[in-house]
Amino acid sequence: MIKNVKEVKDKDFNIERSAEEIRNLSFKNHVCIGCGICESTCPVSAIELEEIGAISRNKINTTFSGHDKLPQNIHKGFDKAKLTIDEHKCVLCGMCSGLCPADALELTINGVPIANIDSYPHFISFAEIDDDECIYCQKCQTACPRDAITVERKLPNRADLVSGEIEVNEDDCIYCGICKEMCPAEAIEVDSVTGEESIVIDKDKCVYCLVCKKSCPTDAIKAVCRICSYGDYDINPEDAVVTGSAIIDQELCVKCGWCEGVCPTDAAKHKKPFKGSLDVDQNKCQTCGACADVCPCDALTIPSLKGPVKVDNVIKRDEYCIRCGACEKTCPNDAITVKITNVDYTPTNSKTWIEALEALKN
Amino acid sequence: MPKHIASGLKYLTAVKLKEQGQNQQKIADELDIDRSTVSHYLNGRNLSWNSIDVAKTITDLEPKDFLKMTQAIIQNPEQIRKIVNICKKNEYETIVEDSCIGCGLCVDLCFMKCIKLDSLKAQITSRHCCGCQTCENECPTNSIKILEI
Repeated sequence: MIKNVKEVKDKDFNIERSAEEIRNLSFKNHVCIGCGICESTCPVSAIELEEIGAISRNKINTTFSGHDKLPQNIHKGFDKAKLTIDEHKCVLCGMCSGLCPADALELTINGVPIANIDSYPHFISFAEIDDDECIYCQKCQTACPRDAITVERKLPNRADLVSGEIEVNEDDCIYCGICKEMCPAEAIEVDSVTGEESIVIDKDKCVYCLVCKKSCPTDAIKAVCRICSYGDYDINPEDAVVTGSAIIDQELCVKCGWCEGVCPTDAAKHKKPFKGSLDVDQNKCQTCGACADVCPCDALTIPSLKGPVKVDNVIKRDEYCIRCGACEKTCPNDAITVKITNVDYTPTNSKTWIEALEALKN
Repeated sequence: MPKHIASGLKYLTAVKLKEQGQNQQKIADELDIDRSTVSHYLNGRNLSWNSIDVAKTITDLEPKDFLKMTQAIIQNPEQIRKIVNICKKNEYETIVEDSCIGCGLCVDLCFMKCIKLDSLKAQITSRHCCGCQTCENECPTNSIKILEI
């Protein structure tokens, strides 16, 4: 008889059925956003979502309502996988994989992910950073709620961008060390010991601010401006270029659009799989912060306050919400309504799959 | 003893094929046995009539049990498929409804290898169906109907 074999590794797992073809469903807990779409989609009710709110709050330093005075609300020891799948019920149809907006569940058939198999539909969404436009400012890296972006940059050589040089006339220098103490770049070394007097200027550190020259009591420091004296010393624009790379970890990325939102150029572009709305009923909301803790996109946040003050409202950043519905499921006060009005997916001939995709709308 | 019943099943298959107008060489090829054995079968030699009776009883079982018994008696899956397909008592109409989710469980379960997936839907080659109804019984969405014609 054909049987599913489950292999659990920490909070991740694999379920495999090996017969005519090898079907393997893998779950990556750290990628899961806890939206529960898989649970409501599974045609054989094999999936169960855990208490996502409690799991999210087990994060170190996550405090109740973003309030640093209320650390007692950290649920220590509640450290479970975000969902479980009963391998005796699962038939490895892959619907959970196809409909997972984060690709935390992935079905492969003979090693090929169903996202790469034409007959299976998949969401049309992306996030990318155009290297030609990127100025490596790292704003997207800071803003990304999933820590999915790495921007590495190579800065120009500072000495190449300094507009002049200083020189010391040792005949006039009395090695008093005033310039050394004044220098903000720590570019000057002075030895004042009698008989061993010396002064050395590190041209890689000097920024030509001229504080040394202005503070020298004997006027021993000469300044040579590169820009105004000799054209040969002009700064080469190529020396000022910042190079680097910006990489999005597509496994963690949920296509929320923060990168595009904060990008000062046109480098970051994204497309979400769902369109819809997010509403918070401020009358019902008790600002407990559960939604902010589970939101994978930082679309709902609680302002961080100091002192015994109650937060009035959650802050909603609608443009970054991916309409996954994790907050709605977690909210203990039924204060949140997430609606999906449009689902963008590649075509398929399967009526059941289309029905399941269309059922995401509400 | 199972060997004799296996011969009985092959005999019944050979006779059926003969009735369908196939020549001895073709029958030998189909059953992967040599031509002289086919000749013996068709001339009623070297066979215990009792084994043929038992074989007949087996082919008369419910399709699921016929398949199971044949699997117990004969090892070669390809041979089992041929014998079951030729000796089955009925043809079947196979229906896959649109509620099929394309999980492929039926593909894996079908011993006769007559199901494949096409565009996330099971496609059953009816003429190869033995009527065992394993697919119908195991389908998680009850999307398969196997009907006797």
